[in-house]
Amino acid sequence: MHISDGILSAPVLTAGFIGTVAVAAYTLRKLDLDDIPKVSVITSVFFVASLIHVPIGPSSVHLILNGLVGVVLGVRAFPAILLGIILQTILFGHGGVTVIGVNTMMLGGGGLIAYAVWQLRHHFNIKKKEMIFGGLAGATGIFSSGIVLALSLVTTGEEFIATAGYTLVAHIPVMIIEALVVGACAAFLVKVKPDALAGQLPPIPLTTPAAEPIKEAPQATDEETPK
Amino acid sequence: MPLDIDRFAKLASPLQRWDPRVKLFTLGIFVFSVALLKTLPVAILAFFLAVCILRLSSLPYDFVASSVKWIIFFLLPFFIIMPLSYPGETAFKVIGLGFAWEGLQIATLIFIKAVAIILTTFSMFGTARFDVSMIALQHLKCPKILVQMLLFTYRYTFVFIEEMRRMQIAMRARGFVMKTDMKTMHVMGNFVGTLLVRSFERSERVYKAMLSKGYQGELHSMVRFQSERQDYIKSALILTAASLILALDFSGLFLPAKQAWF
Repeated sequence: MHISDGILSAPVLTAGFIGTVAVAAYTLRKLDLDDIPKVSVITSVFFVASLIHVPIGPSSVHLILNGLVGVVLGVRAFPAILLGIILQTILFGHGGVTVIGVNTMMLGGGGLIAYAVWQLRHHFNIKKKEMIFGGLAGATGIFSSGIVLALSLVTTGEEFIATAGYTLVAHIPVMIIEALVVGACAAFLVKVKPDALAGQLPPIPLTTPAAEPIKEAPQATDEETPK
Repeated sequence: MPLDIDRFAKLASPLQRWDPRVKLFTLGIFVFSVALLKTLPVAILAFFLAVCILRLSSLPYDFVASSVKWIIFFLLPFFIIMPLSYPGETAFKVIGLGFAWEGLQIATLIFIKAVAIILTTFSMFGTARFDVSMIALQHLKCPKILVQMLLFTYRYTFVFIEEMRRMQIAMRARGFVMKTDMKTMHVMGNFVGTLLVRSFERSERVYKAMLSKGYQGELHSMVRFQSERQDYIKSALILTAASLILALDFSGLFLPAKQAWF
């Protein structure tokens, strides 16, 4: 889901770029050195997963999964989605160079809101809460992106109001599918690899750790670079 | 859809020989000036310019067409929605909805601009190796961390596409058929989850391998750029064309697709 080139007006495009640069600068600062390869490799999975088409009756939609990016990467979802959008622009020509900002605000903002929804699960103590909140996060990701898309269309000109309405309606089936897929995925990950999920509380140790794990070898620092 | 946009980077053409830094900068400005156009005749002119630039790059027709046809498919709904939903006076009625020529004009403008920009994107990124383009972006003050992550993501996309194909074949071999039901969604959720778990483990191995090769947050490249007078002449030509179409657009010679577009 993204908006094409040539539709939005200059102020909307500029606002998209300013917003993206601001949020990206803030979230990129939160990345550690070891996050760089990790976030990139995981981003490529999301990129590949968004090529999956799920049938809806006679037609099909492709997964967007920006909610799942929020669930897995947390705040790092924003730079991950920025990467995905840039790659999509360069490789497919989907969207376009001028709308990178708006598209990132749309999907990346949705990812961040989905993460906020996902974090709410800590306040509840119910069965299958990962599945429920994963589903909610998946739906919110799409929902908030749809709102941003509609807003950017409406602020461009009043002749786009009807188009904005249609796109919002078209998002409803996508929202349901994403909710189901992300919910199932979150439930799967919590069983199989809980530390892959963002914002997991550290597990309560069953016994006091008797032996400290062997400390990792100190990583190469600036002074000791062999030349 | 071809994912390796740079597969024809080795062809010899004026665009491939162009210094990637200068090329990305110049064509980037061209793209933005096309995006700001408001009048249909100038947009058509810009479209022909974009086609000319693409012709110079000697990229094969099929390669470009296979991507562009999807974009055209996505943009087609505009031709139906815009004329039928345009506020104001309508020319005639179609199944109870007013049909406005202004709406059709806007749809055409959007379509032409979008296709022109996509064609230029091909001239920008299809004419140099992907890593060279990325390092050129870094020279153009694109954040280093972003460039590194783009290179990684691009490289591992191919790995995971292969992985996904293998998993899909395995699922089909077990008789899985996609339908619109809960079970399919559940299976797809687990499918994406499995891909994610595999990527987590792989990313840890990748990081350790990089650390053991001395990674400290810098990527060192053997790519050296060199710009000559020819590069700047090409750049000047296209920048002049870009400012000309913008000037023509603002001169008021042609009527905008809609008054007070902005």
